Amino acid sequence: MSHELRNDPSLLERQQARMKWQQQKQQSFFNASDHTMQNMFSTSMPLAQTNETFTGLLSGHNGLDIVKPDPGLMEDWAGFGDHLSYGYMNQNSIMPLGADQSFVHGNSVSVSTSVTVSVSPKKRKADKGQSLEVVTEKEKKLKGCAEEGDSKITHQNSNNSDKATGDNKSSNSKGASTNTSSKDKSKVSEVQKPDYIHVRARRGQATDSHSLAERVRREKISERMKYLQDLVPGCNKITGKAGMLDEIINYVQSLQKQVEFLSMKLATVNPELDFNIDNVFAKEMFQPSTSEFQGLGCTSETPNPAYFQLNSLDQVYCGLDMGINSAEMALRRSLTAPMSIPETFMDSSCFNQILPSAMWDGDLQNLCKMEFEQGTLIPIQSHQYTGKVIN
Amino acid sequence: MYTKLSMLNFFVVGNIKMHTSSKQLKKDFIKKWVKGLEICCSSNKKMDVMERKKKIKLCADIALASAKNATTSWSNALIYNAKKDDENAILVDNLLGPESRFNSQRTAHQMITFHKRVRSKRILKKSCTVSQRMKKASPPASNLATCIAKRLVKKRTQVLKKLVPGGEAMDEYSLIKEALDYILSLRVQVDVMRSLANATEVLD
Repeated sequence: MSHELRNDPSLLERQQARMKWQQQKQQSFFNASDHTMQNMFSTSMPLAQTNETFTGLLSGHNGLDIVKPDPGLMEDWAGFGDHLSYGYMNQNSIMPLGADQSFVHGNSVSVSTSVTVSVSPKKRKADKGQSLEVVTEKEKKLKGCAEEGDSKITHQNSNNSDKATGDNKSSNSKGASTNTSSKDKSKVSEVQKPDYIHVRARRGQATDSHSLAERVRREKISERMKYLQDLVPGCNKITGKAGMLDEIINYVQSLQKQVEFLSMKLATVNPELDFNIDNVFAKEMFQPSTSEFQGLGCTSETPNPAYFQLNSLDQVYCGLDMGINSAEMALRRSLTAPMSIPETFMDSSCFNQILPSAMWDGDLQNLCKMEFEQGTLIPIQSHQYTGKVIN
Repeated sequence: MYTKLSMLNFFVVGNIKMHTSSKQLKKDFIKKWVKGLEICCSSNKKMDVMERKKKIKLCADIALASAKNATTSWSNALIYNAKKDDENAILVDNLLGPESRFNSQRTAHQMITFHKRVRSKRILKKSCTVSQRMKKASPPASNLATCIAKRLVKKRTQVLKKLVPGGEAMDEYSLIKEALDYILSLRVQVDVMRSLANATEVLD
């Protein structure tokens, strides 16, 4: 929101911090594999898929006629997709526009080098205005291309801000300096242009500024919808905006209901809100893991069976849970005293080593030896829990 | 409670499918939630089930929203709405703690400007309806489908706006963005609560 940005004096610093973070992320992304984009979606998307989804993105825009990319160009795009994958094309809907143009004109543009996709995950909405400036670089590259009746329109940001993105203007003016730095660090070294959004009109489409702005906005929205499609289960077959929105609404409602239900469950389970660990552990029974598993299968039922595919994930870490619980129970029994397990104990490496090798016969010595070997600490003192939070 | 906290951390760390940022969110959420529950039950009065449930839910929501650290608009709106409710305001303040980055003034300002905008839009619409009625004499048949589609989309955006906290004050684009983030966080919340519920159930 523009008003929000104007009134916030620390926005520039935050933006700068974010840009730095983005660059770091970009670097790590280039160095590592594709998993950084996972922080947007919890589903993993293998590299092979990014290619298809990328072309899907290209071809899936509402009403825009796309020239099918010839296979020769696909390699470029494959590389592109690998590096700057799907998840990063966030607010940069102009990018596919530019991509199409390059296809149309038959350039095997190494677009991966020319385009700086400003990496701004959805969670940082103030940055979205900056990503649109990326287009200026593409425009430079595309100038060399022959133009077939397309008209090039230069937009003032204010046009777009009249539509959906109200904060473009202010954020762009503020972010101009940060954008220069990000662009320098990217593979393109271009002269910083003033804050324009260059939008190219397609053949046979209206070229007045309003409709172009509308189109930009629509593309951004449709991009977002695609991300949501990945998030919301069972949305792969639905293509229309209305249907997608419907699914999103249902999903959000079901999640909220689950929260209500679970908080009710927790309220009934614990007579005092105080999750008194002594009481809990005093009542435990050491059951074989299979029966526990089955028991969990029953208890994990929620009122919305439509979203039960979450349950498979649950079973996975319910199994883990039980492993953890039995570990703790064994420790507990052998010590016969409450102990505080500091968070350092909860190291995954420690866990992995303990679980397969330890025998749950309450052999304290073995367990303690293992833990000390790994350098973690279990204070073997019988003291009550105090009111301190372990941080 | 602290082994529960640590158990839950175990779940977070041990679960292969989770990614780093949602792991981080989970950890923050767990910590803040447990802290908040402590504060809640420090008052010794007896509570019935519904009250307990409300307290639990409130703690969970506030914990989730504050784990976001004022980066998203829905989290700010959630905290703001919680604070507006008089009976919970003090509790919320305690839960948030002294170092919270939530700027209530900013959210309040946003709300005010939003309402102003809505009001001015209404005035504009009223002044324009006459001319619009003249134009929309007879929509051609080919546009009928699109009209219907548009109306559907509009209705559903309205519904979504009510679901996402603070959604009313957003335009369509940021609404979808916020909804995305909100879905992710809700998932985290559900996962954590469910594991805790299962753990307590098995152990009891």
